[in-house]
Amino acid sequence: MPASFNRRMAAGLNRPAGTLDVRDALKPYRGIWNERLAAHLLRRAGFGGTPYEVARFARMSQPQAVRELLHFSDTSGLPAPPDVYDPFAEDWHLGQLRGLSADQRRKFFNTIRKRSRISIVSMQRWWLNRMLVTPNPLQEKMTFLFHGHFTTAAMQKGVWPIYVWNQQQLFRSHALGNLRDLTIEVSKDPAMLLYLDNALNNKSHPNENYARELMELFTLGHGNYTEEDVRQSARAFTGWTLNRFTGSFVDNRRIHDTGLKTFLHRTGNFDGTDIVSIIYDQPACARWWASTLLNNFVYNDPEPQLIDALAAVIRQNDYNLAPVLSTVFASNVFYSDRAYRALVKSPVEYLVGTHKALALPQIVERAPVALRQMGQVLFSPPNVAGWPGGANWITSQMTISRQNFLASLVNSPMMDKSAWVDRTPMDPKPAVEMLVGQLLQGDAPSVAQTQILRYLDGSDTSALKMLNGENFQERVRGAAYLTMSLPAYQLA
Amino acid sequence: MKRTNFVLGALSGLAVVANADHILARALADTPLPGLPGGDDRVLVLVNLQGGNDGLNCVVPHGNPLYYQMRPSLAVPRGDVLALDASVGFNPNMKSLKSMYDKGLVAVVQGVGYPNPDHSHFRSTEIWQTAAPDRYEHTGWLGRYLDDARLPKNLFNGVALAQVLPEVLVSNGVDVPSIAQVAGYGLVSDRNAVARKTYTQLVTDNRFPFKSPYLAHIAEVEDDAQRGSEELPKLIGGYKPAGSYPATPLGRSLSLAAQIIGSKLGTRVLYVQHGSFDTHVNQKATQDRLLQQFSDAMGAFYADLQAHGDENRVLTMTFSEFGRRIEENGSQGTDHGEASPLFLVGGGVKGGVYGSAPNLEKANMGNVAFTTDFRSVYATVIERWLGRPSQKILGGSFPHIAALA
Repeated sequence: MPASFNRRMAAGLNRPAGTLDVRDALKPYRGIWNERLAAHLLRRAGFGGTPYEVARFARMSQPQAVRELLHFSDTSGLPAPPDVYDPFAEDWHLGQLRGLSADQRRKFFNTIRKRSRISIVSMQRWWLNRMLVTPNPLQEKMTFLFHGHFTTAAMQKGVWPIYVWNQQQLFRSHALGNLRDLTIEVSKDPAMLLYLDNALNNKSHPNENYARELMELFTLGHGNYTEEDVRQSARAFTGWTLNRFTGSFVDNRRIHDTGLKTFLHRTGNFDGTDIVSIIYDQPACARWWASTLLNNFVYNDPEPQLIDALAAVIRQNDYNLAPVLSTVFASNVFYSDRAYRALVKSPVEYLVGTHKALALPQIVERAPVALRQMGQVLFSPPNVAGWPGGANWITSQMTISRQNFLASLVNSPMMDKSAWVDRTPMDPKPAVEMLVGQLLQGDAPSVAQTQILRYLDGSDTSALKMLNGENFQERVRGAAYLTMSLPAYQLA
Repeated sequence: MKRTNFVLGALSGLAVVANADHILARALADTPLPGLPGGDDRVLVLVNLQGGNDGLNCVVPHGNPLYYQMRPSLAVPRGDVLALDASVGFNPNMKSLKSMYDKGLVAVVQGVGYPNPDHSHFRSTEIWQTAAPDRYEHTGWLGRYLDDARLPKNLFNGVALAQVLPEVLVSNGVDVPSIAQVAGYGLVSDRNAVARKTYTQLVTDNRFPFKSPYLAHIAEVEDDAQRGSEELPKLIGGYKPAGSYPATPLGRSLSLAAQIIGSKLGTRVLYVQHGSFDTHVNQKATQDRLLQQFSDAMGAFYADLQAHGDENRVLTMTFSEFGRRIEENGSQGTDHGEASPLFLVGGGVKGGVYGSAPNLEKANMGNVAFTTDFRSVYATVIERWLGRPSQKILGGSFPHIAALA
């Protein structure tokens, strides 16, 4: 687990208070079902719901709602993919470079770098909009989770946007797939081969970077392997590289180490596929994924007994995600008070979720800039451990950036397109009830509701006129801003 | 409401209940002040060289033939090394740091590390920041210093010039702001000014109809951020930097650090970061560039401090989570290693080379074995620079090094 989780974990600051009943935790939930819990489900299994989606899910039964999220429908109506610069499809020929002077080469590379950067921003916008309008939010949520888990950053180490684009398609196609298969595919994925240097791993000089992070961050967790396991498995991955002129994976047997390797107490002439299979035979691997899923979907720092219980479900289902996620989203622990608002929204969840809550039809233009200020740039995680998450999203700098994003959003012309905010009743009391209900499912202290009411009706300060037809729009948007400024709004 | 109550409430799992007259509470004495007396005190600036800086190509053992054998393509040619003595010298890209060394402002501590080194970036970074190689600690060593020092509380006792708060500044009782850049640190003013005013009152109200492990923390950070960001530009606005800094992220961070120090806010510890030094591939180009950026930014920083008369009250210390493998790999890079040198810089330093040179013959699984425990350096800094006993902060006694008077 990334270090940042550990420090608060050691102090027990991430885990919700109260006691876990582990026998009951993963059994199907049979309690009340309402808009508040439907919104909770949509925040976790997706990026939040619009008021209409929340109402629609609340009208289903809870098992129906979970089935609906796990059933992926046709996405052919979604916005067309962006134009992603692909050097291999166009002008990427060694011959072309050979005749060039140093100056011409520099110009050539500057041009493709510029086109690449433009591509990245188009990809970010495309993905954020897809998160907003997809009929399959869980598909995008898992793609997003994998993006932070099997991290790869574009524009470093020769990782062209097209590689990251293809990697994202791989994640999306495995959103409810098998984790072992996905890990094998990731090990052969050009973006990963470049980002963690396995492209250069050869028998005369093994490069350990991928082998180590595969175990530490992707599958087992620190402490479940030895330094010798790192060295031995690095040998097994030798030769998995890519053709620099086609950009596709190749298994180069000439630089593969065919000698015997001893890895996690087994000996053989292993290759990369064998290493991944041996890893997935370890109980620690199922525990690692159980912990990852619980930390992302239920609450942080889950109890070891809860991890064990979900790890057993993962092993029973041979690492197939669909039945595992179905278990989680239908479980008692998922709908418990302890899990409710127990996670911190990542900037992407916060930004997309805000568009959802306001029922905006598309993502604002400045979203990529706002996300950078909030600390989360898609396709550019800070390092191989992905985004640290949890309390790490709550720093003074980042809370200010979130607040500034909100202010710019409620003042932007995009707000004219909100399907409901300007139709809030002109009567202040029901207006505040509606805002706090739609944006926060009522999760606001009554003192704060009173303050928002006094802002809205104009009794708060002499600087404000009483609410009237002229100032209504500005005032109701200000009240929406205030509602979304409450600390509870930072929580998923 | 006292902020300690927020924390206790969250820890014990009690519902956190705020006093309705929170606005009054804010005026009470236990609320941290923006700036404070004691602003002329000593400052420690910690520079994190992220990713694992290759110590052997940073402080080069140019007198050791083994180094040249084990690094056929990566070794720094003898003639290029900025020699400190017959055995070691700086990477040729560290000219500014070398001229500071020549003035006696730089101490090089060689072979710094800890027992049973960990080769994971994340765990090893955590070990360096918490100073706890053998257990998990939720506070950082400088966070524990802030707890122990009981400085008059203000919003800037410690400052992290980073977007994410580093573990080293996590404490039990002192909130440390993370500031990436002053330009983006502040609520933008707009036509919702009145809503903003209401917002500043909202954030301390914590009586929510549910429990969450994060709620109190969020309210507290938002509160401090909101007030701190309002005050900071006013407090540091009068400072004029002397000379120009390199236009690099580290240059900008150190420029801001000098501004905060020179404005005498009472800041005792500052954190900046630089990287990434994780050079598995084509190390030379990356490390040379990063070392030059580091060296040039340090040169500008101390020139600025000196012009303001602050150079003797500012100690800068570097660290990196590990050094790198002695032998280069097949990709003109190096893999994760163990011990590496660190730098102490400033007017209070006794310049020179400390600790024993890396033993390349008796390597630990291909890595430089540590000869100075990093906690010895920390103990020296805590006691001789920050003036606090180190035993409680570090959980043990460690011999001092001689690099500080």
